[in-house]
Amino acid sequence: MPRQYEQLNLPDRTLAIFKWLAVIGGASFVLGLVFAPQRAWSSFLLVNIGMLGMGLGAALFIAFQYICGAHWAVAIRRVPEAMCAILPWAAAGVLLSLLAGKSLYPWIAKPPHGMKGIILDYTFVIGRAVVFLGLWLWLIRTIVARSRLQDRTADPALSARNKRSSAGFVVLFGLTFWMATFDWVMSLEPEWFSTMYGVYHFSGLFLGALALITLLVIWLQYEGPLRDVLTHEHLHDLGKMLFGFSAFWVYIWFSEYMLIWYANFAEETGHFIRRQTGAWAPLFVANMCVTWLLPFFILLPKPVKRSPRMLVKVCCLILVGRWLDLYILIYPSTVGFESVTFGIWELGMAIGAPGLFMLVFVRRFRSAAPVPVADPMLEASLHHHQ
Amino acid sequence: MASMPSTIHSPLILGDKNPSDVTNDICASVERGPSLSWWVAISISSSMLLLGLISVAYQIMTGIGTWGLNNTVGWAFDITNFVFWVGIGHAGTLISAVLFLFRQKWRTSVNRAAEAMTIIAVMCAGIFPLIHMGRPWLAHWMAPYPNTRGPLWINFRSPLVWDFFAISTYFTISFVFWYVGMIPDLATLRDRLKAGWRKTTAGFLSLGWNGSFRTWLHYETVYLLLAGLATPLVLSVHTIVSWDFATSVIPGWHTTLLPPYFVAGAIFSGMSMVLTLMLIARKTMRLEDYITEQHVGAMCKMLIATGGMVAMAYLTEFVTALYSNSPYEQFAFMNRAFGPFSWAYWIMVGCNILSPQILWFKRARSNMLVVFVVTIFINIGMWFERFVIIVTSLHRDYLPSNWTGYSPTWIEIATLVGSFGLFLTLFLMFCRFIPVIAMAEVKGVLSHGRKNQ
Repeated sequence: MPRQYEQLNLPDRTLAIFKWLAVIGGASFVLGLVFAPQRAWSSFLLVNIGMLGMGLGAALFIAFQYICGAHWAVAIRRVPEAMCAILPWAAAGVLLSLLAGKSLYPWIAKPPHGMKGIILDYTFVIGRAVVFLGLWLWLIRTIVARSRLQDRTADPALSARNKRSSAGFVVLFGLTFWMATFDWVMSLEPEWFSTMYGVYHFSGLFLGALALITLLVIWLQYEGPLRDVLTHEHLHDLGKMLFGFSAFWVYIWFSEYMLIWYANFAEETGHFIRRQTGAWAPLFVANMCVTWLLPFFILLPKPVKRSPRMLVKVCCLILVGRWLDLYILIYPSTVGFESVTFGIWELGMAIGAPGLFMLVFVRRFRSAAPVPVADPMLEASLHHHQ
Repeated sequence: MASMPSTIHSPLILGDKNPSDVTNDICASVERGPSLSWWVAISISSSMLLLGLISVAYQIMTGIGTWGLNNTVGWAFDITNFVFWVGIGHAGTLISAVLFLFRQKWRTSVNRAAEAMTIIAVMCAGIFPLIHMGRPWLAHWMAPYPNTRGPLWINFRSPLVWDFFAISTYFTISFVFWYVGMIPDLATLRDRLKAGWRKTTAGFLSLGWNGSFRTWLHYETVYLLLAGLATPLVLSVHTIVSWDFATSVIPGWHTTLLPPYFVAGAIFSGMSMVLTLMLIARKTMRLEDYITEQHVGAMCKMLIATGGMVAMAYLTEFVTALYSNSPYEQFAFMNRAFGPFSWAYWIMVGCNILSPQILWFKRARSNMLVVFVVTIFINIGMWFERFVIIVTSLHRDYLPSNWTGYSPTWIEIATLVGSFGLFLTLFLMFCRFIPVIAMAEVKGVLSHGRKNQ
């Protein structure tokens, strides 16, 4: 295939903006540690869980495509691949929160008794975290590296091997991810538990990653590399997935909430009461609106799913919802549910994380061809139609 | 994929068929009259059905005291069967509606039969709550309408009522979807059959289908809309079935994961039952060219995926019960695995988690006997899953003085056998009178005429 693909060329100004955002994020974390350590750690955990979710969601997107033998997304696969570059940073951030942000987790200072004490044994939790993160990173790295190797060797067997590794990754993710969310987020309120918790995180993570993939492919089309590659047909499929997973998120949300509300157990309802009363109530409702209600109704008509301009708006909405969702999960447990706490530390890290993400993303994206040039299914993907 | 450098997908239908071959092959089973094996099969299944009818008549006349229930175990065999059959139904809608939205072309060979199975399974499921009412002739009291009984309204806050709405809606939409999808094929039958009652019936049911562009356009629009409607419905049905349990305060029942866990389990069990039936049908009805190893392989992969979700749910529930530090939660799960019904628990784990793992191997997926045995295991395992959830969570409740056991009476067993009789009888009738494969849809995925692509 003699076709040439344009590499991403960004003006220095754009890169400088990303750098400055990242610097602001870093500075607000460091200064926050001095002036408001609990808020700084909470926000730090929030952005790292969020970024980890973006990386994992992108990896799952790639894995699902390989497993299903789907061709449509091959042409845009380099985007989720480059998104995985954030994973080591986010993994380090999560580990740092566990190791140094001890004030977040009440069970570290006051170990629980019984089985919970064994499951939430500090060394055990750290050990699990290292194993989980290590295995995820290793498998994802392998998959991405093979995809890039294929550019040079054009060996179709690499696709088959990636298919197998993808299945392995999905199984591993299913076995470990829910436990990870228990350890890192649910245990912020160690007395509360819900079996749905891991699935809830997965639904948000995948929706967020889809929104980010959609935003990035539209941006890369605008900037050049995906011009003449990305078509309305790809956008239509991404739009359908956004629609579907937005509905999936609310399905999981409602199932968890309704069952706890209905059974009305004292040990369970506290989690939601803290989040739906007082100052948190409007945010609780807003989360529902930006993550599901608005995207659902906006994405219903077919032309919207094919329109880059509309998709950009919906995706921004969903990404705001992602931050808000994690904010509602984390802050009432760690900073306090009596009032909503939001200020420069939260804002700084909320804009700093995307800055860092973009720096890492751009560097990784530029280090390979903008499309997987030798993938056997590339042609089918370029000519994909509904 | 590596072995197919020029085309990325291998042909779905083997034997280089053209559209006329498809019509002839599929209509043959309807037109050639029943074979001996069909008569043998339906004799057995209708005998089972007769046994079921007798036992149902007996228990309605005598009362449900004929069941093995007691004060502590107030739900057991009947609800297990109900959930089992509703679950079986789910694969049909998944294949016909969800996979349609996902543009999975392999579904065309199995969607008709899978959907017929859905409708029949939902009928089988409906029997059990109906009998459990005790006075089935008052079943219309479930419907909310201004009445002369007070007026006495149903309890809208009860998940059992939601279930009534969910199942009846699901049945209606599935039936309409199945019927609409069948119209072009009924028209084909109408055009081929010799004059007689069957031709008249097919003509009536095909609603004046003329095969014009406009007709197809309307048809495809309706089909897409119905698929869009059926997709959330199929998720909602088993979700609401799970709420029958999860809204309660019983340890082992009240767990937030139950809705997606039940949906995954339903698709798992249904997909397995579809495979059981299709493997028999492809052999006896000579449909090997239409239901190929590729189709079976794809369904096996669905089994691995949904089975994996179910396994993850078992694990999550168990670990969360330990994590909860709630003695009741912990006891409920320990009792499942090591209590008096532990045999049922380990049958469930063995059949649902261990047995499908063999399907990871391509050699196992292409060996029809292995696949068949695995699907039988899963069918058994998924029945036991419901039994475990229902009976073991109930039989040892908060008061140890209440603890009891449970064993089914022959009436309950006969009713279960009868429901299988109904299921198989109706499915055999379906195979006899209706084209088992959606001819019009299969014609759209033939490689015929695409040689140069």
